[in-house]
Amino acid sequence: MANKYGDVIGVAVLAVAVLLIGLFQVFQPGGATFGDLTGGIVTFSTMVRIGILTIVIVGLNMLMGYAGQISLGQAAFYGMGAYASAVFSTRPELFGLPESLVAMWWWPWVVILAAMGFTGLFAYLVGRPILRLKGHYLAMATLGLGIMVYILFRENFGFRTTETNITGGYDGLFDVPRLAIGGFSLWPVERYYFFVWAIALIVIVLAMNMVKSRPGRALRAIHSSEIAAETMGVDTASFKVQVFVISAVFASLAGSLYAHFQAAVSPAPFSFEGSLDLVVMAAVGGMASVWGAPFGVATILVLEDLLRARLDLIFEGASGEIEVIVFGGLLVLIMIFMPEGVFVGIRNRINAWREERAGAAGDALPEQGAAK
Amino acid sequence: MLKNRNIFAFLVLLLTMLFVVACSPAGTGTEVVEEEVPAEDDMAEDEEMAEDEEMADDEEMAEEPYKIGFIAAITGGAAPLGEPEAATAEMIQAQLDEQGGITGPDGVTRPVEIIILDSQSNPDAATSAITQLIEEEEVDLLIAGTTSGNSLAMVPIATENQVPMISMASAGAIVRNEDGSAREWIFKTPQDNLQSAEWQGQYLNTLGFANACYLFENNGYGQDTLASAQAVYPDYGVEIGYNDSFNATDTEFPQVQNVLADGCEVVVIGSTTNGSINMHNAVAQGAPDVAIVHGHGVCNQAFIDGLTDNKEGTPLPCGKLLVPDQLPDDDPQKDVVTTYIDEYTAFTGGDPISTFGGHAYDAFLMAIAALESLEGGQELDARRAAIRDYLETQIIDFPGTGGVFNMSAEDHLGLDFTALTFVRVEGDGYAFYPEDAWGTE
Amino acid sequence: MQKLLQSQTARRIAQIALVTVLVGLTIYFAAQKNYRPVQYVQLALDGLRGGTIYALVALGFVTVFNVTGIINFAQGAFAMLGAMIAVSVNIALADLPGVPRLLLAGLAAVLITTLVGVIMERVTIFPARDAEPLTLIIITVGVFIVLQGIALLIWGTDSYSLDSFTTFETSDHIIRLGGEAEGAIPLIIRSQSFWIWGTAAVLMAGLWFFFERTMIGRALKACSDNRQAAALMGISPERMSMLSFALAAAVGAIGGFVLAPATRPIYDMGLSLGLKGFIAAIIGGLVNPAAAVVGGLMLGVIENLGAGITRAGFKDVIAFLILILMLLFRPQGLFTRQQRVEKV
Repeated sequence: MANKYGDVIGVAVLAVAVLLIGLFQVFQPGGATFGDLTGGIVTFSTMVRIGILTIVIVGLNMLMGYAGQISLGQAAFYGMGAYASAVFSTRPELFGLPESLVAMWWWPWVVILAAMGFTGLFAYLVGRPILRLKGHYLAMATLGLGIMVYILFRENFGFRTTETNITGGYDGLFDVPRLAIGGFSLWPVERYYFFVWAIALIVIVLAMNMVKSRPGRALRAIHSSEIAAETMGVDTASFKVQVFVISAVFASLAGSLYAHFQAAVSPAPFSFEGSLDLVVMAAVGGMASVWGAPFGVATILVLEDLLRARLDLIFEGASGEIEVIVFGGLLVLIMIFMPEGVFVGIRNRINAWREERAGAAGDALPEQGAAK
Repeated sequence: MLKNRNIFAFLVLLLTMLFVVACSPAGTGTEVVEEEVPAEDDMAEDEEMAEDEEMADDEEMAEEPYKIGFIAAITGGAAPLGEPEAATAEMIQAQLDEQGGITGPDGVTRPVEIIILDSQSNPDAATSAITQLIEEEEVDLLIAGTTSGNSLAMVPIATENQVPMISMASAGAIVRNEDGSAREWIFKTPQDNLQSAEWQGQYLNTLGFANACYLFENNGYGQDTLASAQAVYPDYGVEIGYNDSFNATDTEFPQVQNVLADGCEVVVIGSTTNGSINMHNAVAQGAPDVAIVHGHGVCNQAFIDGLTDNKEGTPLPCGKLLVPDQLPDDDPQKDVVTTYIDEYTAFTGGDPISTFGGHAYDAFLMAIAALESLEGGQELDARRAAIRDYLETQIIDFPGTGGVFNMSAEDHLGLDFTALTFVRVEGDGYAFYPEDAWGTE
Repeated sequence: MQKLLQSQTARRIAQIALVTVLVGLTIYFAAQKNYRPVQYVQLALDGLRGGTIYALVALGFVTVFNVTGIINFAQGAFAMLGAMIAVSVNIALADLPGVPRLLLAGLAAVLITTLVGVIMERVTIFPARDAEPLTLIIITVGVFIVLQGIALLIWGTDSYSLDSFTTFETSDHIIRLGGEAEGAIPLIIRSQSFWIWGTAAVLMAGLWFFFERTMIGRALKACSDNRQAAALMGISPERMSMLSFALAAAVGAIGGFVLAPATRPIYDMGLSLGLKGFIAAIIGGLVNPAAAVVGGLMLGVIENLGAGITRAGFKDVIAFLILILMLLFRPQGLFTRQQRVEKV
């Protein structure tokens, strides 16, 4: 019951916060932009990015936190959405579709949905056999899968770029159109911000419902003990595949949103390092909580912006390598001291502390026991 | 019930925290920033607003530095290209500091601040960096993009915000729309690999090679050299048979067996120095009868020193920057090339010269020329527009390290085909290899 | 039972179909190339050299996994550190004559890397020793990121070169076999290859001696056979865990050191070496050192042959395809019969 209202309030608070930030940027009271509010460190675009990645991480959180299945190749699904959107919305003729589709406002939306479907199907076909594996075997299988997909993007599926240029190789694809509904463009960035966060909120609500539904409870059972869950009559294999597919579909959706936000797609963000970044975000947020997703993404992206803007104050002449070391170190520390993630870790710790205090206070809170 | 309510409160608190974290540097736990930065920025903001009100006060404006935003791949996969670019930017900053800044037509000298950010060879970091530079640093212009992929990711942002941007990457699409017209706000300095391919095609044709094997380094640069060769060679009656990629750090080269199997008599290698050395040696050892031609990315001393087999006579097109001694005194680039080499060598304490640093240098030369033309007292938008107009209309017969530039409304690269020359390895150096001597021995 | 049987039959059919398809594809691609038999031998021979390095990295994986049950993702970084430190020391000692200089470079590489391995175990693995495997994997991934970041900080993004052991120059001796006849293609072996093979052979013999004939090696082995029993026998699993990381780091560093002259060491070479080493270990079944070595050699050969008959850009795709096929169809390794994985 606590969760029920807590989640509703959480969504409401998140929505209000999103709205406030957006409105601040739109109206710029006193001539100050959102960026000025943060001392010129966090740009408004970062807020859009947080929204997009939240969608990926919600899926990854469900997979890792609830189903206990690690994916070191999630960037592959993210990339499949991004490349599908970029390729089909700029040159459908490559696949025998009429070129005139490019001019249609609804075409990118069709592509997004089709990409989600295709990625989901792909994840299903791959997930069926792969998810039989456990622990590090699964980790390595997803890792291998992610790297293979990345190489196919980078190598243009083995075609020469001059003849059949699908992915554009290292340079990637560019001039991806912005999204529009009828004549109403979802650009400039303020509009896209609201759109992305609306989707992100929907995804969060969907994920919360899944977590609380019967499959969700089954998932948690899988995480705590797969054998026990199976004995109880839960079809763990099929649930794991379902979550794997859902997380892939979310990643694909986010990838499409990314392509239309960035207007250019190239392979680097979908490499193994890209997958690692996603795992770091999920780990920081906390893997057994839908709420960990926006928290983890925001922490990492804000930290990135901060390091980029202010690093020279800390280390003279330093650049990306410090960022790499900081993130690696952060990951190790979190995993040692809060393997359940920072968000969840802090929450658990506060709860434990409160219970301890309540216990010390004796019968001050008599309904405590009943609530448990 | 009480507990439940506390949990609500806690969740609300956490979510608020989330956005406090997202919105303010205070939440990220870096105390230094919390205390200093907002204070500074508030002041800067106040100043700016004050300035806006007193726009007529030219003295006040003169104090404000010009800002050049600079983004290169200082780390990540393209770092060997981005590092000399960043070193060049630091060198220019040092020079400008020494001079006190840039003196405009009104005789007022304004300081220049070059803000150098790292794109980490990743388009996401690159776009975040460019947004930061445009929105928060409010730069006058951008010199940005080591690789084509990163440049293309930044193009829409520079265009939408109407900030002039000079890219340091090779792909033609950076400055051209799909219909071939120039992208309004985007310029670039590196010659296309096409020009290198023209020289190679001409050479292969003169020597009577109809079929060439092409091996390229597996990165954006290498892929682009292949694409250029595929576009140009057919004009010279040369077909590319077997083509494949390799990595600079490979230990095995199965490509050599494919060269043997294909039966081609010449191999063209499109790579930067390290990769070219390894691939050249592997081909020369495994297929000693096959001729080898290189691209313009490698003509430096390290390349010659690294070759072990079939070294003498290896032909390649070469940027003038890398063979300054071979240039005649009346060459329009001679001055700028020797100046850059001297300055860069002195500044870095003897780092090898690379064409990529030269691309950054050319971009800075143009940027400084544009800033020098600016009338004082203009607002940011007007300055940005004036810089763009200057780059498009006034970069005429402009000698740089990469060639003589002639920009126009149709062409935002503006290089003619005299920027490269053709050389071959002789002993431990390069020697000019004139066209009439090709294939005569 | 019926269902199980069906699924096993289905699996067997899928396996046979897959093998047929793969063999067919190989023949198809190979037929498109105009290779002579000696060229296949050359490709295999080259692959054997890379495979030896994979085998050394795989040995590190197996050692750590056996004792601690952890997949040490940072294993590739040990090889990278070995190569980079050797190169740096070699440059720093430029005044010394070739042999002592090289020996000191190798010694420094192995000692420093071993120290890094020990520190890694004490600082990151030991405090989290009771965590879930998922957590431990992410920890080693984090350590890998940090080690690579530190390497980037120290060495930058340049690639370096280490002189070949035989010539003490960048260029290497080449041995040509055959090919005197007009139009014939000779078989080429670089002398550094012999150093790589020789070092690996000596190292494996040494490891065998260590595990079978020394007290501490037997303790380590006992620990990997049955941790609890070993603990009851008075062997401290925690000390053994540290020892296994030290051993893995040392073996990795030696691999990096002998590999260095055959490539141009660079700060990010660890990732690919680590992943390939892991694939080799998986081919060998993850618990058997000898099988892991064979797995490494196989991987090197298959990968290089595959890259030769398709495209070199797909070299990694071939390697990871092998990984996934292995995980799906023979997770217990090529050379083991029983199903070990289900217990994990």
